[in-house]
Amino acid sequence: MRTPTDLQADVAEVLVSEEAIQARVAELGRRISDDYRGRNLTLVSVLKGSLPFMADLMRAIDVPVRIDLMEVSSYGGTSTESSGLVRILKDLSTSISGEEVLLVEDIIDTGLTLNYLIRYLRGKNPASLRICTLLDKPARRLVEIPVDYTGFTIEDRFVVGYGLDYGELYRNLRFVGVLRPEVYSGQG
Amino acid sequence: MAPAFAHASEAELSRILDFYGVRWEYEPDVFPILWNTEGDVLESFSPDFYLPDLELYVELTTLKQKLVRKKNRKLRRLRELYPELRVKLFYARDFRQLMLKYGRVALADELSGTPGQVTPESSADELLAGPFGIGAPTPTDEPGATISSDPGTAGSPPPATAPRRRRQRPRTANRPTEAEARTTDR
Repeated sequence: MRTPTDLQADVAEVLVSEEAIQARVAELGRRISDDYRGRNLTLVSVLKGSLPFMADLMRAIDVPVRIDLMEVSSYGGTSTESSGLVRILKDLSTSISGEEVLLVEDIIDTGLTLNYLIRYLRGKNPASLRICTLLDKPARRLVEIPVDYTGFTIEDRFVVGYGLDYGELYRNLRFVGVLRPEVYSGQG
Repeated sequence: MAPAFAHASEAELSRILDFYGVRWEYEPDVFPILWNTEGDVLESFSPDFYLPDLELYVELTTLKQKLVRKKNRKLRRLRELYPELRVKLFYARDFRQLMLKYGRVALADELSGTPGQVTPESSADELLAGPFGIGAPTPTDEPGATISSDPGTAGSPPPATAPRRRRQRPRTANRPTEAEARTTDR
């Protein structure tokens, strides 16, 4: 069993510190509050990576918000059951028809998942649909999607922490970091 | 029916695109990028994928970073001559990160560079089935080897099956000048 100390030791570099994340989330919360003042806002978060960001962001917003959660299957290649077509594993629990929706993402890189989610959510006829992401990695974008609120634009590196995982671990790190290469090759 | 991919990483990317419902075409267009003074095409570039809904070409290279200089040069030339095209180049590190994201780091190592090349004896599906049966190194990954997609003209291995018929895009931009119409591949 890996301990928190082990997890920290696996990190080669802290890309975004805990302090920087908290400051930026507070700033995003203020902007979103200003933009949605007097309107009904529903935050939709995508499991699992967005959970910490969603939890902090919703508390940084000072207008009334509703929240909902979704989960979509991830590509698993040719040898797993998840291959085939992307599926909704957990759908919205309430209708968003006529609602002002803000989709909260942890990271946008290729934009493939987000593109799918946007098409899906638009089919539910929200009054508006905007995107908020903690991290944006534009260098690897395949699908160009306008992002309304961005926490940090980062370089093209594989990152973990603050919800982002590698092998389902490292989500509970309080910062965003880059793992040591040995971790990926199983020698860490 | 899936096309005969030149590299197993291309087959993997096609599966990812299928998974997310993004339509794609494999090497549908050939763009001339170098002519001689008589106007004969000396060099062409055929991006690996075209995503019609996104109007985007995607070129995937799993060569090591130090070996992609030639591909970068061809891509720059393509963008100069066809500025209206949207082309995205996915490097080995991009592909590796994609595989990391999907928890398939072993596959990234397996498919990167020479080991992932499809030879006449091995299909992409065979490569994806495991580390065995991977073909011998091909000239394509050698430093300085030409990476033109045109079989038989650039030191590339012959395709696993007959290549699909592809659209030859005429050059609609400027005709090449004397200076542009180089006969050597620099």
